[in-house]
Amino acid sequence: MMNLSPRQRRVSLLTLIAPSLFWLIVFFLVPLLIVAAMSFGQRGTYGGVEWNLTLNNFGRLADPLYLKIFRRSFMIAGITTIVCLLIGYPLAYWIARRAPKRRTLFIMLLIVPFWTNFLVRTYAWLLILRDQGLVNLAWTGPLHSAALWLAATLPGGFTSSLSQLTAAPLGLFGTDLAIIIGLVYGWLPDMVLPCYAAIERYDFSLSEAAEDLYANRLRTFTRVVLPLTLPGIMAGSVLVFIPSLGAYITPDLLGGARSVMIGNVIYSQFMAARDYPFGAAVAMGLMAVMVIGTIIYFRMGTSGSPEVESVEAGI
Amino acid sequence: METNIPAVELVSVSKFFTDVTAVDDLSLSIEDGEFFSLLGPSGCGKTTTLRMIGGFEMPSQGEVHICGEPQGFKPAFKRPVNTVFQNYALFPHMSVFQNTAFGLEMQKAPKREIKGRVLEALEMVRLGGMENRKPSQLSGGQQQRVALARALINQPKVLLLDEPLGALDLKLRKAMQLELKDLQSRVGITFIYVTHDQEEALTMSDRIGVMRRGKLLQVGSPEQVYETPATRYVANFIGDSNYLGGRVLGQDGGRIRAELASGEQLSALPASDLVTGTTVTLAFRPEKVRMAPLDLRPGVGNAIECRITSVVYTGSFTTYLLSAKSEEEIMVRWQNEAGSDRQRFSAGDAIWAYWPAELTTAFPEDDEGLVVPPSAALDSGEMEQVP
Repeated sequence: MMNLSPRQRRVSLLTLIAPSLFWLIVFFLVPLLIVAAMSFGQRGTYGGVEWNLTLNNFGRLADPLYLKIFRRSFMIAGITTIVCLLIGYPLAYWIARRAPKRRTLFIMLLIVPFWTNFLVRTYAWLLILRDQGLVNLAWTGPLHSAALWLAATLPGGFTSSLSQLTAAPLGLFGTDLAIIIGLVYGWLPDMVLPCYAAIERYDFSLSEAAEDLYANRLRTFTRVVLPLTLPGIMAGSVLVFIPSLGAYITPDLLGGARSVMIGNVIYSQFMAARDYPFGAAVAMGLMAVMVIGTIIYFRMGTSGSPEVESVEAGI
Repeated sequence: METNIPAVELVSVSKFFTDVTAVDDLSLSIEDGEFFSLLGPSGCGKTTTLRMIGGFEMPSQGEVHICGEPQGFKPAFKRPVNTVFQNYALFPHMSVFQNTAFGLEMQKAPKREIKGRVLEALEMVRLGGMENRKPSQLSGGQQQRVALARALINQPKVLLLDEPLGALDLKLRKAMQLELKDLQSRVGITFIYVTHDQEEALTMSDRIGVMRRGKLLQVGSPEQVYETPATRYVANFIGDSNYLGGRVLGQDGGRIRAELASGEQLSALPASDLVTGTTVTLAFRPEKVRMAPLDLRPGVGNAIECRITSVVYTGSFTTYLLSAKSEEEIMVRWQNEAGSDRQRFSAGDAIWAYWPAELTTAFPEDDEGLVVPPSAALDSGEMEQVP
């Protein structure tokens, strides 16, 4: 290294980080500060913001209507995360157990669909789930015919109600279920990839060691595999939960008019009601909840690690 | 106690992987309380054999018996054996205590009893006071001891060890060899030890099984496999050997007479039946060879005329490289004892090389295994196991 004075060294360091610093400030920090500032403003008569300081916007968040939407959003995001975990972890485990060359292939197959635009993919789910969609075509078509045939050959309460049930579309579109399906589909790779990274790093000879020490499959999993791959599960859950909580396109397209999540509230405040300050307040509120929640979540994950239990607790 | 029931018995066990035969019709009986080593180059099937005893691989053919009981397809957690893995496989998220307690806990032993036995086991491997450390806070040797304690605490019928000293440095490895042997005689558990290190096997074992390409070439005491190797491969793999090509002239009691390319004649013990006229290789150990000046012809045993090509001093012994009349190379290892006469010979000297006939083994030319140094056999790229 050249001999640089402390001053020169500072200057050169600053030059090196300047581009990323510039990027962060202009495209992340400034917009965030604008939204934060906006949330303390007042709605202008014709839209826009009047800059007289007020906390009214945050007060409006306590309105039962919005609290209910918050609660719904949390529930939908929570269920989405759990379903993603239940599908994603076994999938990641399965991929991690393939031969190394195969693993790359399967990870590619998982990611390839996500090169398509998110909107287009969500729209595809609309075509699948709506009353005239693929699922209902099968339900009211071949399945209904089969149910009718069954009712004719085996008359009874069950078969007749089955044929009645298949007569009408399932009515999936516009339900929370449709939103959850769309969200699970959309964020599944975000669960699989961190889980895969953790499981792939896991040394499977530890499973053999556990088995050698009289642990059956289940106990090997709960006592050894799970604790050692927990970081992947935690990261994946955050990566799925946060975007699901703020989701806007998926509930908008698949949830129909009845289903509303926080993302839709923010959108409508900005774009329809033109109430920028309140929209900003909702956005800031959501962010605060996420940041606090994430901190607590990771604190829990690191301090309450599952190893401190059983034997020593009893001694 | 029925001590005549072998601790482990393999009956015609084979293991086929998709494109490799890892273990080929292997039968073996290991006695109760024995320290048995499976020795062979990487890919000879020794680890696969161990994994079949442990229940991590199931035999494609044949049967594994442990203490007289056929194991069938019993999974590892139902077998009365424990394993010390090559990389120790300690649970990184558990303390030394929790690692050691794991087996007893899985067997649902009472917690009071667990604590006492864990502390006792750690004391036995000289790790007292370390119970709250994490494996990452221990040295390689200490991790090794935890792995031992974790296995032995379960008082298994048989302890399987898969190259447990491979990751340690030379000094520590030597110390652990003696410690392992000592531990084994104290606990009285049958040890089955897999290694590619012939010195390790010779140091610790009651008996050694030498394996190659899925087959067992020889089973015997360290002395037997070293002094009377059954095949040329065994002679070559265990220790260093000198080889001279020759032709059988005739039988002489239990020995054969063979003529070398130079016309000189030697006596040797045949490794198998050898008919007169057969081309043979005569093998003998470098440390058995002595040297004498040309004017002092040795009276008994085998002797040939050689010229010294180089002298290499290596501390506790001196290595002489000799060239026989047939241009074949002979190595002599001369212990540098007090008052040693190593100064008497130097490069360029013409001398007699002589050694006892009963320490010479004759192998047929078509004997399994070419004369390759052990290091080359290690690199031959044979399969160890399919994960």
